[in-house]
Amino acid sequence: MIAYLTNLAALAAIFGILASTLNVAVGYAGIFSVAHAVFFGVGAYAGAQIALVLVPDALLAMLVAGLISGALSLCLALPALRVRGEYFVAASLGLQMMATTLFSEWKSVTGGIGGLTGIPRPHVFGVEVGTLPLALAALGLILLATAALMRGAFGRTLRSIRDAESAAEALGKNVAAAKALAVAFACAGAGVAGALFALHMQFVNVESFNLDQSVLIMAMVIIGGTGTLLGPLVGAVILLSLPAGLAFLPFIPATEVGAVQQMVYGLAMTLLMIFRPAGLVGDLSRGKSMA
Amino acid sequence: MLFVQLLLQGLQVGAIYALTAAGFALIFGATRIFHFAHGSSFALAGYVFIFAMQAGWPWWMGGLAATLTATLFGIGVFWFVYRPIQRHEGSFFTVFVAAFGVGIVVQNLIGMTAGRGFASVDTPLSRAVEVLPDVFLAQVFWVAVGVAAILFAALTLFLTRHNAGVALRALHQNPDLLRAYGLSSTRLSLLAFALGSALAAPAAMVTAMTSGMNEAIGHQVMLISMAATIVGGVGSLRGAALAGLMLGVAESVALNFVDTQWAEAVSFLVLFAFIIFRPSGIFGIAQAR
Amino acid sequence: MSAPVLVCEGLSRSFGGVKAVAGVSLALPAGQVTALVGPNGAGKTTVFNLITGNLRADAGSAMLRGRSIMGLKPHQVARMGVARSFQDLRLFTHMSVRDNVQSATETSAWFWQPGGAAARRAREAATEEALARTGLTDLAEARAIDLAYAERKFLSMARILAARAGIWLLDEPASGLDLASRLRFGALLKEARAQGVAICLIEHNLDVVTELADRIAFLDQGQVLAEGEPQAILKDPKLAAIYFGDRGEAA
Repeated sequence: MIAYLTNLAALAAIFGILASTLNVAVGYAGIFSVAHAVFFGVGAYAGAQIALVLVPDALLAMLVAGLISGALSLCLALPALRVRGEYFVAASLGLQMMATTLFSEWKSVTGGIGGLTGIPRPHVFGVEVGTLPLALAALGLILLATAALMRGAFGRTLRSIRDAESAAEALGKNVAAAKALAVAFACAGAGVAGALFALHMQFVNVESFNLDQSVLIMAMVIIGGTGTLLGPLVGAVILLSLPAGLAFLPFIPATEVGAVQQMVYGLAMTLLMIFRPAGLVGDLSRGKSMA
Repeated sequence: MLFVQLLLQGLQVGAIYALTAAGFALIFGATRIFHFAHGSSFALAGYVFIFAMQAGWPWWMGGLAATLTATLFGIGVFWFVYRPIQRHEGSFFTVFVAAFGVGIVVQNLIGMTAGRGFASVDTPLSRAVEVLPDVFLAQVFWVAVGVAAILFAALTLFLTRHNAGVALRALHQNPDLLRAYGLSSTRLSLLAFALGSALAAPAAMVTAMTSGMNEAIGHQVMLISMAATIVGGVGSLRGAALAGLMLGVAESVALNFVDTQWAEAVSFLVLFAFIIFRPSGIFGIAQAR
Repeated sequence: MSAPVLVCEGLSRSFGGVKAVAGVSLALPAGQVTALVGPNGAGKTTVFNLITGNLRADAGSAMLRGRSIMGLKPHQVARMGVARSFQDLRLFTHMSVRDNVQSATETSAWFWQPGGAAARRAREAATEEALARTGLTDLAEARAIDLAYAERKFLSMARILAARAGIWLLDEPASGLDLASRLRFGALLKEARAQGVAICLIEHNLDVVTELADRIAFLDQGQVLAEGEPQAILKDPKLAAIYFGDRGEAA
């Protein structure tokens, strides 16, 4: 039972990182990406390879994973962010579809469908540590950084772009640069979460980085509440406990739990948008006329 | 000869893409709603057709049922999801998330009722015969291309001759005209959703007869429709249809050079190239902000 | 009369064959209010968009203190000291009034602003001053979306004040204001004029124009038909016919 709870807590922390970082893009900057799992995946493969080939040092794995994911997202976002919001969603959806193919085909790096196995347990300065404290520490640091940035000038810049891009431009803000930075920050965070995920599971394959996963992360942000610090965490915990909760319902066949779970959050997303677009934690009038 | 074979295949796939993309573009042009659940209309129509065929219905009844399903679904999503959101000034973001949720629900409903994985209809139409040395063609090719051509001709006639069609096009170009002509935007939106969704049904039926359906096909269709709309130039039906055709051919011809699993990536690359080099698309005009 | 800060010559732009702006020349001197007057669709807002880089000009030039600003991006033009307001305001709806204003003082897109603590205090002081001068200090914590109509207009002005620009391009800043608000707005404008700001405003209300403008440029169908002292322009019967005639048809 303790092992089960520790596992759940570590996963909650990892998905908490994913949801909070995606929230920087979606909730603060109004950049809508359905490709967050791609950068989660890039980080996971990078972290796993470092642990497998070099040293199982968690800090190194997280650092490199974050850097690679962040840099990659910057390269992709700079051209893609020039277009209108609708197009960006389309582009990110396309990226997600293509990355899934790349992850299953680039066998020398990702191990293909079979994935990478036997990832060693994480060490910090040569001492073996559990993933839960690591994940909690990373989550704490990322939350602190997010809170500091979003409360300051950078957060104001992002929110002004979200609310009225042309007015932000007219006040001298380099909109493209600010958006690209927000995306890089979010995706670097996803990379760190990926490295943690690889070290925690000791096994990664493409299943964890497909469109369903991107949608799950997005659902966490939206159900919890966009543009708030706490919302995404609440969303992550709720959606992660959903499978366990559904397993207690006797009338759902075990094989359909996954499908029922997806339907529940699909339905939750739709109903929330109709009746409470700000999510569970956001204040009610927010999100109504978000541009 | 392989090239000719792939080109013909590409035209068949392209005809399907063109129909779905035109439906998507019609809805977007008239209502400014980025209808992300369009792929769900397609998937539902395809599965209804498969069920009808398995139940031994005649093909035209299956087709009618599929078209009706797609149309009703499109109207339903507009009425029960988009309209309430628009009433409280919902943004693109809100509409997108809601539609995405609908897509997830439909995908899993299909998965639970029809089973996961590949499903298709086997008809005499899908059997290939050798038409040229080493070039095989099934009759369904002519069905796909013919249906697409007829529907486009009909749609063009409707949009240029019929009153409501002209109003839809006017809406395309200038929403303010609506008030000037005293037309009801809700009724026109309903019409756009009904027409646009109905266009997905024949495409889904041909797909069910050829490459087959799976429960996640909605995402793929959504991506292609969006890609075609952007590549064609937002607001241009003609552009969306042409781009759909082009993407189908590009995907198919690319098989000459890459493995099957990369075919989809080709569409994405085309999309990305357009986003970077010509964001206004083939027929689009640059817009001032 | 001082030398003009911003000089536009022959600005032109057409949309699909229709000439929205056809060879507009305009000079904005420091410490003067120039009003752009003309019937709807005369191309007034398009002129603003051409100056600020929101639209590319087909032909013509715009020089800011002797440097060309043609081809620059909107944020680059803004950083050179051109502040503009929008007819539809475009406030940062879900941010507080104070954040709206403070945002105008922060131009760096980087994670932090340059200049350290001293610069930050200066920005905060500029924010508070702009809030005070527009009478929004008491509403500083309210969200922009919750403001009343006139308050929104003043918030738009507060952003411009806080941006500390040498040139203001104001798109119908006084439309729909009641008399008291209009007086307050007039005072703001006169203060800025006294400080040497070059102001260009699009305005339909001729009372406001007569009271505030030093000069009028009369635009019709993308061209400057006449330019000069308000009294001279407003008394010209030909211009009045165009102005009121067109409006009469629209109404």
